[in-house]
Amino acid sequence: MMTVRRKRRTFARRKICRFCVDSDLRIDYKDSKTLRYFVTERGKIVPRRISGNCAKHQRVLTLAIKRARQIALLPYTAIHML
Amino acid sequence: MRKYETFFIVDPDLPDETNSALDNKVQSIIASNGGEVLTFVPWGKRKLAYAIRKRTRGLYVLMEYAGGSQLVAELERNLRIDDRILKFITVMLEERFDPERERERRAQAAVVPFVEDEESSEVPLGGGEEEEMPEDFADEGLKDEE
Repeated sequence: MMTVRRKRRTFARRKICRFCVDSDLRIDYKDSKTLRYFVTERGKIVPRRISGNCAKHQRVLTLAIKRARQIALLPYTAIHML
Repeated sequence: MRKYETFFIVDPDLPDETNSALDNKVQSIIASNGGEVLTFVPWGKRKLAYAIRKRTRGLYVLMEYAGGSQLVAELERNLRIDDRILKFITVMLEERFDPERERERRAQAAVVPFVEDEESSEVPLGGGEEEEMPEDFADEGLKDEE
């Protein structure tokens, strides 16, 4: 094998939208437990290509995360401890 | 009439009497402006994701109500003035409030408010994220810069 591979062909498994699979799962800004799953450690919203959400649910989810941030259920960013 | 919900955070260090006085005050604002309080659920004290007015915890209260846009304006004005309220958010739930449908819904769901206990709300961020992220995550320029 080559030591340096410029182009990697990664075979990611087919991503599925969790909210499409499980219709009982509602996206709610008050449900911080579910939302936390779609946020990085630093508080960024995980992009669609990583999380595998469909466009429709990603839009709803993004709104929910932003609302959760407003009411301090989710952080805007990692808190810097003094 | 529309259906709204307001989710607000009350100063957690207040004595219980002040709290109940505040609850009454909020509810009376809605009543006196032609609205109707549907549910009023205290969620208990929770840790805040970031400090608000130097407080790291807060008492969350969720209130659903029906009313017009003037009511929301009046309510928010009062919440903003009140020092005991740290923060609030108002979300419209339904464009047209239907009392009939509301009654049905309440009959169906024998309202069990989901109250998270304080410990579980302190779950570290990004739990179980490893599985979601392929190795080339960093390659895509998304790495969180230090």
